[in-house]
Amino acid sequence: MNRQRIRLKVNGQAYDTLCSENATLLTLLREDLGLTGTKEGCGAGECGACTVILNGRPVNSCMVLALECQDSEVRTIEGETVNGGLSDLQKAFIEHNALQCGFCTPGMIMSARALLDKNPSPTREDICEALEGNLCRCTGYEPIIAAVLSAAGGEVNE
Amino acid sequence: MPAFLQPSSLSEAWSALKENEDVRFLAGGTDLIVLMRQGAVKCGAVMDVKKIPELSVFGFKDGALEIGGAVTCAQILEAHETEGPYGILKQAAVTLANSLLRNRATLAGNLCNASPGGDMIPASLVLGASVVAASPRGEREIPLKDFFLGVKKHVLARDEIVLRVVFPKIQGGGVYLKKRRIRGHDLAQVGVAGFYDGGLRFALGAVGPTPVLVDFGRIPEAELLERKAEIVETVAAEAKPITDIRASKEYRLAMTRLFAGRILDALSSCSRPLAVEEAAQ
Ligand SMILES: Cc1cc2nc3c(=O)[nH]c(=O)nc-3n(C[C@H](O)[C@H](O)[C@H](O)COP(=O)(O)OP(=O)(O)OC[C@H]3O[C@@H](n4cnc5c(N)ncnc54)[C@H](O)[C@@H]3O)c2cc1C
Ligand code: FES
Ligand code: FES
Repeated sequence: MNRQRIRLKVNGQAYDTLCSENATLLTLLREDLGLTGTKEGCGAGECGACTVILNGRPVNSCMVLALECQDSEVRTIEGETVNGGLSDLQKAFIEHNALQCGFCTPGMIMSARALLDKNPSPTREDICEALEGNLCRCTGYEPIIAAVLSAAGGEVNE
Repeated sequence: MPAFLQPSSLSEAWSALKENEDVRFLAGGTDLIVLMRQGAVKCGAVMDVKKIPELSVFGFKDGALEIGGAVTCAQILEAHETEGPYGILKQAAVTLANSLLRNRATLAGNLCNASPGGDMIPASLVLGASVVAASPRGEREIPLKDFFLGVKKHVLARDEIVLRVVFPKIQGGGVYLKKRRIRGHDLAQVGVAGFYDGGLRFALGAVGPTPVLVDFGRIPEAELLERKAEIVETVAAEAKPITDIRASKEYRLAMTRLFAGRILDALSSCSRPLAVEEAAQ
């Protein structure tokens, strides 16, 4: 199998490694870089479990080839950790019971993070649009929307 | 195991095409990568065309709007260029999949995928779009109405790269309405675009093997509503839907009529343009 060199930054850390030509960004993260926080649900663009932020935009990492990300900046759920603690969004998700099985959560949080980066005070509608591509089979979405709204409002603190 | 190619110029692309067999072009990958992972598409090499500078154009040239092959639906939604008469492109783009997909999915990829239900196609057809494609043999411009040959088939040769889609200078306004089962990740059951600029055009998606353009020529504004029944029937007569998992042919035909009528109402009264989601209820 042909392997090519790939250089990229994930959560601020530079990586320089080899990856197979048909690897997706998702497999690069999970299998080569050991960042297993990002999940694979459908592998076909339907569920959003694999959402990461690529050069500032949330994308389905199962549909991006790793080699397309040469010299790119990627952010994953692992990058949410702030000095060993949880981020505002992570705390808000816990506070609002916005997860049950948790499989959709890393993707949900990355979509929400990309939204908050762009728009620090989103409306409910903005949140629904930003999370349109992230499916959750457990929560019924309301707690997730509440969590993002509260993280945006800064209500959920230590 | 397909090789990965990423030329940063057209000349690099042409030499890579010489050195590799059975090359498939990659834009956003939201069609291609899914098909490759399912094993439905097998190829010798994948060529990412997004680094070729010609494909990143997005702006006006001699009054015409040019949208490069690497421009995504998200960019179309964010841009000022796609306002006014070209706003119908935004109306269509916002219905395409979901916000994650739109960050990758390109206009050119949607046209080249040539799905009968591609959402950007009817809107592009009523705007009179054409496709500029380049190959080692040179460049050519193909009117979009002559671009589609059948389900997932178009006129491009395997070595032709779409550089940009060109929308002629235009005035007036248009509406795109899409019917789907659920929001977020469903292709159109029916997609209807209408445009009025003194001339009236409709285009239909998901009701035949290729999208269809119905051109009524010039119609005085006062006649749009007077002739509504006749116009709606003419549009519906061009729909040749089938029954599949998304909808029955009867339903598709009924929705085509309903949407054509609603679009005509919206186009004839200078009233507020019909909101896509509202009509899709
Ligand atoms: C979950 C999901 C939901 C979807 N929902 C919708 C929807 O609601 N509406 C809709 O219309 N589509 C939908 N799609 C399909 C897809 O997202 C769109 O067709 C999209 O616009 C394709 O663009 P792309 O840039 O990703 O194309 P790619 O996958 O990169 O390419 C598509 C095809 O075009 C060719 N191609 C791409 N660029 C060029 C070029 N510059 N020159 C020559 N050939 C080229 C490729 O070789 C390939 O055959 C959906 C897909 C998924 C996975
Ligand atoms: S795993 Fe990528 S969208 Fe489902
Ligand atoms: S918490 Fe289980 S899928 Fe969302």
